[in-house]
Amino acid sequence: MSTVATTGGDTAPKRPLRHRLFGSQPIGYAFAGPYVVFWVALFAYPLCLAVYMSFHDYFFAAPGAEVDRPFVGLDNYVAAFTDPAVQRSLLNVGIFLVINVPLTVGLGLVLASALNAALPFRTFFRAAYYVPYVTASVAMVGVWLWLFSGGGLINEVLGPLAPDPTWLVNRSWAMPIIALFATWKQLGFYVLLYLAALQNIPVELYEAARVDGASLVRRFWHVTVPGVRSTTTLVVILATIVGANFFTEPYLLTGGGGPNGASVSPVLIMYQAGIEQGDAGYAAAIGVALAVVVILMSAVNNFVIGERE
Amino acid sequence: MATTDTHARTAEEAHGGPEAAPTTTRRPRLGQVAQLVALSLGAVVFLFPFYYMVVGALQASPNPGPSGALPDPSNMTLYNFAQINAAISLGRTLLNSSIFTGGVILLTLLLGFLAGYALARLEFRGRGVIFTLLLLTLVLPFQLLMIPMYVLVVRYYGLADSYVGMIIPFAINGTAVFIFRQFFRSIPNDIYEAAEIDGASQLQILLRIAIPMARPAILTAIIVTFIGPWNEFLWPFLITKERSMQPLAVALANFINTLQATIANPFGAILAGATVLSVPAVVLFLAFQRHFVQTNLGSGIKG
Amino acid sequence: MLAKMMRSTALALVLLLVAACGGGGGSSSSGSEGGAAEQTSGPIEIWYSNNAQEIEWAQAQVDAWNDEHPDQQVTAQEIPAGDTSEEVITAAITAGNAPCLIYNTSPAAVPAFQRQGGLVALDEFDGAVDLVRERSGDVVDQYTSSDGKLYQLPWKANPVMIIYNKELFEQAGLDPDDPPLATYDEFHETARQLVENTDVRAAIYPAPTSQFFQSWFDFYPLFAAETGGTQLVEDGQAQFTGDAGIAVAEFWRSLYEDGLAPREEAQGDSFAEGVTAMNTAGPWAVSVYTDIDWGVVPPPTSEGTPPDEIWTFSDVKSVGLYTACENQATAWEFLEFTMSEEADRALLETTGQMPVRTDLTDTFSDFFEENPQYEVFADQTSRIVEVPVVPNSIEVWQTFRDAWTGAVIFGDNEIEPALQGAADEIDPLVGEGG
Repeated sequence: MSTVATTGGDTAPKRPLRHRLFGSQPIGYAFAGPYVVFWVALFAYPLCLAVYMSFHDYFFAAPGAEVDRPFVGLDNYVAAFTDPAVQRSLLNVGIFLVINVPLTVGLGLVLASALNAALPFRTFFRAAYYVPYVTASVAMVGVWLWLFSGGGLINEVLGPLAPDPTWLVNRSWAMPIIALFATWKQLGFYVLLYLAALQNIPVELYEAARVDGASLVRRFWHVTVPGVRSTTTLVVILATIVGANFFTEPYLLTGGGGPNGASVSPVLIMYQAGIEQGDAGYAAAIGVALAVVVILMSAVNNFVIGERE
Repeated sequence: MATTDTHARTAEEAHGGPEAAPTTTRRPRLGQVAQLVALSLGAVVFLFPFYYMVVGALQASPNPGPSGALPDPSNMTLYNFAQINAAISLGRTLLNSSIFTGGVILLTLLLGFLAGYALARLEFRGRGVIFTLLLLTLVLPFQLLMIPMYVLVVRYYGLADSYVGMIIPFAINGTAVFIFRQFFRSIPNDIYEAAEIDGASQLQILLRIAIPMARPAILTAIIVTFIGPWNEFLWPFLITKERSMQPLAVALANFINTLQATIANPFGAILAGATVLSVPAVVLFLAFQRHFVQTNLGSGIKG
Repeated sequence: MLAKMMRSTALALVLLLVAACGGGGGSSSSGSEGGAAEQTSGPIEIWYSNNAQEIEWAQAQVDAWNDEHPDQQVTAQEIPAGDTSEEVITAAITAGNAPCLIYNTSPAAVPAFQRQGGLVALDEFDGAVDLVRERSGDVVDQYTSSDGKLYQLPWKANPVMIIYNKELFEQAGLDPDDPPLATYDEFHETARQLVENTDVRAAIYPAPTSQFFQSWFDFYPLFAAETGGTQLVEDGQAQFTGDAGIAVAEFWRSLYEDGLAPREEAQGDSFAEGVTAMNTAGPWAVSVYTDIDWGVVPPPTSEGTPPDEIWTFSDVKSVGLYTACENQATAWEFLEFTMSEEADRALLETTGQMPVRTDLTDTFSDFFEENPQYEVFADQTSRIVEVPVVPNSIEVWQTFRDAWTGAVIFGDNEIEPALQGAADEIDPLVGEGG
């Protein structure tokens, strides 16, 4: 089997036909094959149907029912983008990402670094930061509602500084609180990713830096941060994808996107339209549009932060 | 890289950062003490809701005020656990959760490891397309795909009322594939090339080098893949209405929706159920995180 | 790298689009199962809600039937009664594996299920509609769909009334046996006194959240009372932009503005915990609030109305017969069996919920003698209003709720334009033929 590395070959000797057609390591098909089979078997149909639905006046029907589902072109998309609720939900996604992603990356890496060191009670600390991630949203929501309610702990502590319609029913604060809740809850996962990535940074690099007299901060910036760069890309992409699709928070924390729609999310609207109201075509249009936006954002993220190949 | 200011962060930044593998313990410096303090404050913030949940699970009658946050020995009981067990049979539902989650983890590891490796290391035409397919599974929310997928699984594959039907849509966690891909990309090329020069086939490289080295990634993938199906409350319920097959998360969600009016301290019972639901995940994490210690990866290159 | 990724993305998307447009979605073309099956007999499957008392009732019914019909066995399963049940039913209809009967079909969801082709019209069974009318009377008109057929059987009602905590009323210096709650002004003043003189957080505490069904428990009962039985939408037109609708909205707004009803949702049961002095409730309250000395009054009206003339929201649950059913003859017969007087009596005794039966108090007079707390609810069942059974009914309620939270609960908008705006959106929605 040919083992010559393949990158950047310009005037290399002519490669066998097999390699020109399929790439230099066609065994990749065997490795990735099972995943592709699974994907085709399970995702292809719902995905294609979603795209199809978005161009039709579509609703789910019983098998064998005679129903009329006419093609409507871009009507669903136009309706979605001119709907003030959808527009607000997109703004909310923006607010969410602006708060969540930088906090996640920053806090995640710093925490992971701290938790990687030889600390007393390290296991306890690691578990502490991880626990919110594994606890079911339902239980955590109840606690947060209690904490941030009008007579709750946070307001007791803040006293006169507490905002007047209290946090979650306050038009300006509802979304930031949701973003904080989500950041807090998911941080454990990203800390885990960073923890794993930190294992790959050779100890010698830190030693060398210390010998050179670098302070802790400089060591962090010049050894840790570059060393986990690919994980940072992954974290940003994942946080963006998860953030764009946030649903549980408006569904549970603000009881359906209150106050007065200030905390709706695109997926909440999709759920209401598609599942509660049976307007699947409209929901699909929002979903497809959102997916396109997120993929574009991921591509940009990958380009800006990621490694050059 | 953008970072934000929080109290904890500036304190840690000044004094934190990774140390080498445990060396001789000197007297703790001021910096380390400050770091501990900052971490502890943060830990309190993170742990508090979990702590409150446990306190609430042990309370005999709910105390919604701020004083309810402190455990009150006169108000403590295990009765809530008995109540939730009577309502939804913790043993049976935990078993179902384990079967469901275990199946998902197994398939995810199998398929995801191979796919992640291929996407990271092997060059073949169509690799980019596969990567995009992977992205698509993550980007589209489940709410959109749910009903068509249900129709597919139940009508076309005939998997209603089965564990297989529960497992299938989750059987490969896109995040896990990402993690594997990321991990394999971050291993320096030299290691692979050394093996290739020695004449190993791709398969041999996979078996002899990639798998042993991938332990942190495998552990991460297990922990990450565990949470999804373990806390999932809608899909298994769609697939089967058989009470005897429902996982704990589903039974708890149903309880919250409808059964609470029938018992005296529903809040306590719900928190008891939620506590039971979260314990295995924490235990799993504690067991695995031991392995996240600095390994001397660099030394693998020499010789 | 970016260019390569964009190329792959574009390629994948193009493939998808081609497949989607060409493939044509698929689910409308498979006509393997007929809609109107012949009415055969045989084993059937039913679903009921997972409320413990309803389970008891349902099991008893199923066992009784199975004993007498060995070749037409009924198997039963539970589904939760929450809003997730609509999801589950929609999915089941789409997949073709819905059961024959679901004893938890919300009238608001019937138009959607009907549009999906999931429900069988009871008109197809000889004498069925007559039987339903005999049992329930004229109120059945509220349950017929826009094509004139009956796709649901109104089964049990939980008429919504105002429940109040007598002890708290005494503390506030109000008469616990004849509380001043008849007119809006009285109600408001009572609420104010409750909040000032006791340590309740709320005088009344409906859920201030945005789910489409929440209006059924704050706006709709008062609207029914104020109009003497008008539905939200009648004859294809929204009815809430007139004086009555505006009066109800302004009344609720005054409660929110004066801090008598909170704008945050409650955790747990606010009435049971003494967080609120009043709430809206149905007969299910009797078995739940056993530790509280409570009383019940009908909803207030702006000028005051004699209690025996006040209407309210019905909170009815219906039974649907679904097209996926193979043995529809048995399904109808079992349904009929569970609507008999004995079955209704068992329902009343086991769950305390009111069967939708005319002359309820007369037929079961012995029960009400023994359980007088239920009597006021039973009497109320002759004056109940249902959600309108019109196309897009859930979207209608969501639109209304969105306007309501903005104008009434949070006071961000003016009431009249908000309601008018909602009506303008709603009228075309109900006009869309099934």
